Amino acid sequence: MKGKTTMTIVIGLICIILTAVIFLQFKTISKIDVTALENMREIDLRNEITNWKTKYEEIEQELENTNLKIAEYEEKINSNRTASELLTNEVSRLKGIAGLRDVTGSGVVVTLSDNEYVSITAEDLIKLINELKLAGAEAISINDERVVYNSYIVNIGDNFIRMNGRKQGLGSPYVVKAIGDPTYLESGLSKKNYGYIDVQKSEGKTVTLTRKDNITIKKYEGNINF
Amino acid sequence: MKKTKISILFGIICCVLAIAISIQVKTIDEANKEVGKTTSGNDGLRDEILQLRDKYNNKHKELEEAELRLEQVRTQAVADNEEDLEKEKQIKQMEKLLGKTEVKGEGIIITLDDNRDISAEEVLNVGDYIVHYYDLMYITNELFNAGATAVSINNQRITTATGIMCDGNITRVNGEMVGVPITIKAVGFPEMLEGQLTRTGGYLEYLENYVKIEVQTSNDITIPKYDGVYGTDYIK
Repeated sequence: MKGKTTMTIVIGLICIILTAVIFLQFKTISKIDVTALENMREIDLRNEITNWKTKYEEIEQELENTNLKIAEYEEKINSNRTASELLTNEVSRLKGIAGLRDVTGSGVVVTLSDNEYVSITAEDLIKLINELKLAGAEAISINDERVVYNSYIVNIGDNFIRMNGRKQGLGSPYVVKAIGDPTYLESGLSKKNYGYIDVQKSEGKTVTLTRKDNITIKKYEGNINF
Repeated sequence: MKKTKISILFGIICCVLAIAISIQVKTIDEANKEVGKTTSGNDGLRDEILQLRDKYNNKHKELEEAELRLEQVRTQAVADNEEDLEKEKQIKQMEKLLGKTEVKGEGIIITLDDNRDISAEEVLNVGDYIVHYYDLMYITNELFNAGATAVSINNQRITTATGIMCDGNITRVNGEMVGVPITIKAVGFPEMLEGQLTRTGGYLEYLENYVKIEVQTSNDITIPKYDGVYGTDYIK
């Protein structure tokens, strides 16, 4: 009888200890998760919040679009009609993103030209493309050569660049067209002092930016093998 | 006899518990040290970030399910005619091209890290000895020049919409924070990629004077798919 009581108490104690351990465990895990954010300053944290909010909105929109497409296909299936048009639309959208068809829309045109002191280099253009993408450009071309996912730009000599492996080099003036939200593109590049335009100008480079409503960006003419 | 068995059993349980608890305590101590360092009223912000991240991840899961479903209904809806089948094939090809699928293959792995052996007295500018966002930009450019078919930076896939951002002390790729050590993976012909990237006069040769670089070929590289969203609000 006495042995049984002792055992019950011992088991009870063990249970309590186990519960405590599990609780501590949970707490530790959530704290460790925070550790990744530990070294961030308040401004970085605020940026991070904005960043996740934007990402959430984007993905929410994308989910909505996907569900819409599902509904459209289902409707075709149920009414026994052809889905040809839906397929064509999807192909067209994807080709537009990938750079495999001509696209039009509003955006900005940035022109970079050699002047008597400095020439435009591949690096200037690589940076510009990067800035345009960050500002939400949906299609970009340099002298009508489309920027695709695996585009690269290299210098040939001091006055020409080569892009997408084309034999023909490109030269000044470099007319860079980008389609996207014109306000966003313009303000992205025109931040005072630290923006792309101001930095280029401070290095003595000739650069102009204009907003345009009706830009046509040609498709990529090469083969993308994957 | 029975009593002995029970005693042994309890003994073992106690041992296990003791070990678990000591490991536990150690972990907590370390975690507390970390947390103690900087907590200064920004906990609210941190919590918000964690919550947003969870919310995003859940939505992302939902999206992935929807994308799978879309593929199914699309296949179902495709009539048995050549033209539609061809379009469906094109959609799948295009999705690959846009990085919507994971890629495996041979290629190279480049690892970059800040040079922490440098002290401020020795050099003009310590800032030169850390990895910058533009380093990633130029290396990516060289990898595509060397024929890479897929590239990722800390598992962020490089796509036509990918920008590399300098956000104060933080570098972002596809909006995600990437910190050192940076691992750049590229699928392509390993010899070609390695040869081009490490060539005399190449960017890595220059960069090697400042930061720590490791280049290795591999025949087993996995590059994850692009998790972001392509905007098409302005292109017609």
